[in-house]
Amino acid sequence: MTSNPPKTDDMGAWTERVFPTSLAEIRGTERDVLTRLRELAYDEDHLFAVRLSLEEALVNAMRHGNHFDPNRSVRVWYRISPDRVEIRVADEGTGFDPGGVPDPTADENLDKPCGRGIMLMRCYMDKVEFSPRGNEVFMVKHR
Amino acid sequence: MAEAADIVHISDRDGVTLVRLRSGAVRTEAEVEALGRGLLSVVEVPGQRVVLSFLGVKHLTSLVLGQLIQVNKRLADSGGEIRLADIDPQVYEIFTITQLDRLFKIYEREDEALASFAEDAEA
Repeated sequence: MTSNPPKTDDMGAWTERVFPTSLAEIRGTERDVLTRLRELAYDEDHLFAVRLSLEEALVNAMRHGNHFDPNRSVRVWYRISPDRVEIRVADEGTGFDPGGVPDPTADENLDKPCGRGIMLMRCYMDKVEFSPRGNEVFMVKHR
Repeated sequence: MAEAADIVHISDRDGVTLVRLRSGAVRTEAEVEALGRGLLSVVEVPGQRVVLSFLGVKHLTSLVLGQLIQVNKRLADSGGEIRLADIDPQVYEIFTITQLDRLFKIYEREDEALASFAEDAEA
């Protein structure tokens, strides 16, 4: 994995977790993030949005990035202040072009089982940016 | 490994198959696969009419949506149909954002969904 840790600024230090590609691993990170959000009294809508987006980002990393290869890792950084949440997720895949993902709401794609994760992340978070290679996503949710 | 019976409860209601999710969230590979197996087991009978109740489900991901779409396709191919019910408002928003409310018929309660099949049969 080539990703460097994000820089620390006014938001403070990042919490970093690295784990093997397994959907069961998502729960620990999700629990930590939700606990912190509750400590800071974020409302249920924010909890739902962040939980969903974090999970979609991690699922995408494991499924499309690492192709569910348990020998590949997923790295996640997050930091949570009273006014915003920042999350970064990186996988060990070759990356992808986010602009090349077909619109899942188009009539011809509506009954296709893939392509909704990124759409949900973009709807529920205030900012979603992919690295040039496409194997890392950065998301922000403001209070 | 999760068994389908751990994830879904399947019963017959006057010829309509009622599927209730047992877990509030389906997340691990094993749970998602078990959900898929459970749902696919109900489509083995051609023309099956199915109601899937989301009662108690507070969260789902695009992996589960993908499973639902596959089941819907299999059912449609055999002349059957799946209708959804009891979807939490926040979860329902996921269906509207992804416009899957255009693909699935969605009812407030499972009894309404069950009745809708009977009404269609009478019409």
